[in-house]
Amino acid sequence: MDTLRVLIVDDEDDFRETIVKRLNARKIQSEGAASGVKALEVLKDKDFDVIVLDVKMPDMDGIETLRHIKKLKPETEVIMLTGHASVEFGLKGMQLGAFDYVMKPAPLNELLDTIGQAYNKKRGLIH
Amino acid sequence: MRVWDTSHLLDDIPAHKQASAEHVYDPADSQANLYRIRFHFKQLQARLILGLVLGFLLPNALLSAYFHFQFTHTLKESAKLSLAAVAESQKNTIDLYLQERVVNLYNLFHSKDFSLNPTQEQMDTLLANLKHFNDGFVDVGFFDPKGVQIAYAGPFHALLGMDYSHESWYRNLLEDHRNYLISDIYLGFRKIPHFTIAIKQVFDNQTYMMRASLDPDKFYIFLRAISQGKEVESTLINHEGIYQVVDPGRSQFPNRSDFIPPTASPAGVEEFERDDQKMLVAFTPIKETPWTLLAMQPVSVAQAGMIKARLVLTISLVVISLLLSAIIFFTIKRLVDRARRMAEKGQQLQEMLAHASKLASIGELAAGVAHEINNPLAIIMATSGVIRDMLNPEFELDHSPEAIYKELSVIDTAANRAKGITRKLQDMGKSRVPSVVECDVNALLGEVVASLKKVELKPKHIEIANNLASDLPRIFAEPEPLRQVFANILINASDAIDDKGTISITTEAKEDTILVTITDSGRGIPPENLPRIFNPFFTTKGGGRGTGLGLSIAASIVKYLGGVIRVNSIPGTGSSFTILLPINAQAQKTIKQHDK
Repeated sequence: MDTLRVLIVDDEDDFRETIVKRLNARKIQSEGAASGVKALEVLKDKDFDVIVLDVKMPDMDGIETLRHIKKLKPETEVIMLTGHASVEFGLKGMQLGAFDYVMKPAPLNELLDTIGQAYNKKRGLIH
Repeated sequence: MRVWDTSHLLDDIPAHKQASAEHVYDPADSQANLYRIRFHFKQLQARLILGLVLGFLLPNALLSAYFHFQFTHTLKESAKLSLAAVAESQKNTIDLYLQERVVNLYNLFHSKDFSLNPTQEQMDTLLANLKHFNDGFVDVGFFDPKGVQIAYAGPFHALLGMDYSHESWYRNLLEDHRNYLISDIYLGFRKIPHFTIAIKQVFDNQTYMMRASLDPDKFYIFLRAISQGKEVESTLINHEGIYQVVDPGRSQFPNRSDFIPPTASPAGVEEFERDDQKMLVAFTPIKETPWTLLAMQPVSVAQAGMIKARLVLTISLVVISLLLSAIIFFTIKRLVDRARRMAEKGQQLQEMLAHASKLASIGELAAGVAHEINNPLAIIMATSGVIRDMLNPEFELDHSPEAIYKELSVIDTAANRAKGITRKLQDMGKSRVPSVVECDVNALLGEVVASLKKVELKPKHIEIANNLASDLPRIFAEPEPLRQVFANILINASDAIDDKGTISITTEAKEDTILVTITDSGRGIPPENLPRIFNPFFTTKGGGRGTGLGLSIAASIVKYLGGVIRVNSIPGTGSSFTILLPINAQAQKTIKQHDK
């Protein structure tokens, strides 16, 4: 069975690195990208099952990044990560093809749950 | 470093292409606004009422004056005409009367009973016949060709046998081509005023005459009778102006009339003054005698109708003018009142809108704050999760104290960040209580730019060119609203720049004003939008990114500080906002007194 591969895209270094560390500890193969542009660069070389994408980022925001991801790798499931004021962006992301959104700050379990569901959906789609 | 300044660009641009606007906005001082509105409408009302009253009443008065003049003239003429008509008809009546008297006498002369030697009895019969025709006849006499009265009937028997050949009437008749004569009133032999009607007749080349005298009293009564009920005083004068009637009043023989008709025109109407009373007199010559009939009327009587009409006209003019003025006054007052109430309501609405925009900006702030706090919270939660993972042997992580300290310091950093945000919020809360302090505008601009660089200016390549005056005087103001003004204009400047550009910030002091100019090399503002940019909720930022409150709030704050925001914008080249802040000496004093 393939290992679940996750990409965390967030401009908050501390947050991104910590989440990557915790996912890796749970045997989930994960990486971080500090911006939308960097995430797209990584995606060119590697495939991921699930991408966790922060909505509010400088340069290229989460919605814009989502559009590019869906063009580049349409089979990849994306979970939007939103702050309190940007629930509408989370919903907009779902309209654009994101799997779900998670409100910040979220306990790791909730994020793991959502990642798991997204992964299941992707596998179901492929098999 | 490129310094971007519209003032250089403006030199090359034709004046009509320059777009600029100035905003004066004063929601803070609503009472003053209300007074201003009321004063404005009071002025408007006074101007309208004055204008309308003048506009209505002036032509009215001019027309009335014109008609009044014409009316007076016409009525004067008609009064003259009617008096002339009265005189004419009276003259005709008198002529008829006199002709009848002549005919009475003439008939006697030619009656078949008449002889050249009448007896006393015959004479008495003649007199009786004459008296039968008219009771004005006093006596009757017959003259032989020598002018001696050879027969007489009447009360003055002494006159029988008197020689009349030297009397003026006798000589006149003798030489006259007419065969009759009516004399003026004279005293004659009997020494009593009377006038004579005489007829001559030639028999065998000898001239005989018959004479009858008439009582002037009776004639006067006749005259009174014909002028009765016409409010006209009629009298007769001879060519010398001597009265030819015996009037118990003034016009008594042998008095002279105050009015002598002009010799040039025998008939006419004139005005003359008698005993301080203006009189209107119509004169017309009597055909049978060289007398003139005078019909007199006081002007006040002749023009009584006109005076009454004038009075009515004047009163109705005054009443109508007052009525019109009152209608104009009340109508204008009501209209202006309504307009004023609407303006006041509009003012209130504007104030409410400004208040609402403040509330909305607080909501926006709250949403932003929540987002900013959630980020460090997310880090704290994630990091504490990591530490828990480290302490769980299942995950086989490095759980050395050094590793845990490292994670804890991440938590500390995030917590400090959150604390910083809440601190800022507290500062904002404090600044709601007006706290005017000495502000260094340069330093405030620096703080605002530094905080904007963290978020708003971060995604773009924007160069900030500072050109700050080093010796800028300090002003007395609340720092937080000023920060908000600068921040709002700077955010707009950065939003106007697509990706790469320059924002230049210039400060300078001119007399008692500090000028802060924020110029961007962005898209510029289309001229048609320029008048609206300070309106609350006006925004051109799409996608829910702008609330349209930034400039509105900035304008109201600057106005509150007694300043003005000036805008210069050239579409495609950039915009320049200049904030003029007064260095308020009064405020300085107040602060110093407060400090003591």
